Amino acid sequence: MADKLNAQKSVKIAAGAVVCVESEIRGDVTIGTRTVVHPKARIIAEAGPIVIGEGNLIEEQALIINSYPENITPDSEVEPKTMTIGTNNVFEVGCADVGRNVILTSGCIIGAFCQVNTCEVIPENTVIYGSGCMRRVQTERPQPQTLQLDFLMKILPNYHHLKKTIKASHTT
Amino acid sequence: MASLLHPDRVVYLVRGQKRIRAPLSQLYFCRYCSELRSLECVSHEVDSHYCPSCLENMPSAEAKLKKNRCANCFDCPCCMHTLSTRATNIPAPLADDPTKTTMKKAYYLACGFCRWTSRDVGMADKSVGRHLSNFHINGVGILLALGTPQLSVVNLRYDQLSLMFWSILSVAASGGWQEPENPHGQRISKLIEYYQQLAHREKQERDRKKLARRRQCMPLAFSEKYGLGTRLHRQRPGAPIATLAGLSLKEGEDQKEITIEPAQALDEVEPLPEDCYTRPISLPEVTTLRQRLLQPDFQPAGASQLHPRHKHLLMKRSLRCRKCEHNLSKPEFNPTSIKFKIQLVAVSYIPEVRIMSIPNLRFMKESQVLLTLTNPVENITHVTLALCEEDDPDDINSTSKVLVPSKELVLAGKDAAAEYDELAEPQDFQDDPDIVAFRKSNKIGFFIKVVPLKEEDTDVTVSFRMRHDFRNLAAPIRQSEEGGDAAHEAVWLTHHVELRLGPLAP
Repeated sequence: MADKLNAQKSVKIAAGAVVCVESEIRGDVTIGTRTVVHPKARIIAEAGPIVIGEGNLIEEQALIINSYPENITPDSEVEPKTMTIGTNNVFEVGCADVGRNVILTSGCIIGAFCQVNTCEVIPENTVIYGSGCMRRVQTERPQPQTLQLDFLMKILPNYHHLKKTIKASHTT
Repeated sequence: MASLLHPDRVVYLVRGQKRIRAPLSQLYFCRYCSELRSLECVSHEVDSHYCPSCLENMPSAEAKLKKNRCANCFDCPCCMHTLSTRATNIPAPLADDPTKTTMKKAYYLACGFCRWTSRDVGMADKSVGRHLSNFHINGVGILLALGTPQLSVVNLRYDQLSLMFWSILSVAASGGWQEPENPHGQRISKLIEYYQQLAHREKQERDRKKLARRRQCMPLAFSEKYGLGTRLHRQRPGAPIATLAGLSLKEGEDQKEITIEPAQALDEVEPLPEDCYTRPISLPEVTTLRQRLLQPDFQPAGASQLHPRHKHLLMKRSLRCRKCEHNLSKPEFNPTSIKFKIQLVAVSYIPEVRIMSIPNLRFMKESQVLLTLTNPVENITHVTLALCEEDDPDDINSTSKVLVPSKELVLAGKDAAAEYDELAEPQDFQDDPDIVAFRKSNKIGFFIKVVPLKEEDTDVTVSFRMRHDFRNLAAPIRQSEEGGDAAHEAVWLTHHVELRLGPLAP
């Protein structure tokens, strides 16, 4: 059990990603290239690794957490389940993507302050917006985020320090 | 602590047709009647219409014609946010040379909140920008611009002509966004025309009967049945003869009979599809009730048929006291301005009571509550507090006994320059430290003693009467015999104030 808990607590950041130092990344997280993580975003992999794909945009105060299910205490045996976040997703300010069973595919936009606590696969090109209730709109094409990503990748390094890949240091 | 400043904590009683209790910030003060007025004791009148996103002003007639919608701005059918126009560059072949392609700008509508775009419903991108977006349609204006000389036709058939010209110009004016046509539109407009004509004819007959009975000027205010439009019946100077002449003219011209066919009931109804009960519903494709009912002419069931709607206009209203017919609030005409031409709000005339601090309130134990009184006017105000009498019909809400200071409280005038003027001598008021806690320019803090009488879970409420002097600056200064005495007479006004102090301490 100790092996499982201590295995690979590293953050792997690919070469083209822009991850600000002020963001909080804990646990086993892999971040793909061309992903931008704003300061004060939180990616917490408690109960398993999180794999974030390419071209994602994670804004301030967003929370992506792979947490333990509620009724199981952390000490007991829990299968570490990987949380996958696909490509070209946008996590707007203050949203929370909580849970081990949410699988985000590509092109999704989780609007500001929306909580995604469900156990489901969110289909492609979904937009979740609105206060209170979760509402979804299927758009017909993925969002043209390239402009915004390029802009941010140029501007953010001017004002923030960036995190580089931490070499994997524990092996048990 | 901030909850003590919540406006609902201190309410003033308004003695209008109904007894209304409202915080002072929501009340108006008629200084001609010297009474508080609430929103329910004033008459509301529409001042002007404007669009909330493009802030374009619109005269009432035009607004009525466009059904109170802005021509240029759209609402997202999905989340009702304002749509913005975005541009993309698309390669398109040049008109002269089909082999070369240039980048042309294509415009589409997009919502910033829910990411809905006009491409979702299949609306083609427009390549024409909205150059004519500020073109106003004014009935006489169009006709003059187009060189049509028949001005006399305008007044009688304004609605029909303007509808025709509007449909021609709407394509250019709003940037060419195609709007789905109501399939029942023609039938509805025909029905409306028929009933308008019917109402017109009935009115003519009624007026002719009145004329036959009385040989004098006709009453000028006709009641309108189906909303024929004010222009048709606007009274011009020299009215009686003109209207009589007008009647006969209308008779002669109004030969065209509009007939309508009655609605036909159908026996056969389209059957439901077979898999109606078994087919799984894909929720993103179904419109919500709210989205559906915001478009009553189409009420689309599928999200792919949700077309954007024109934005609804907002209006500025002016308030008028019902007793003395003076304006209490009149906003400025310009939509970008938030100021008022006339603003007789209660907070600028009546001293305001606010709760500053409450100790723990215990059942049947006397505690001291600190209140503040602020003087909004520039001269010294004297305030006396009194208890409500035993059988006061207004005293229904209080759950506790209160002891108010018996002495008169003096409030200094509001001096705008006081904070900058350091050399000003502090005014010397002899304050009893048991009653007055502090004094700061035009505000004082004073104590009242509260004994909660009810042990239930409800809030402890306190009520008392506040009496203050009010100098009416609106009334003309009477020329007194001594001459030179320009003092206005002070009127003593009494208000019933109720405070909600919160629950008893456990």
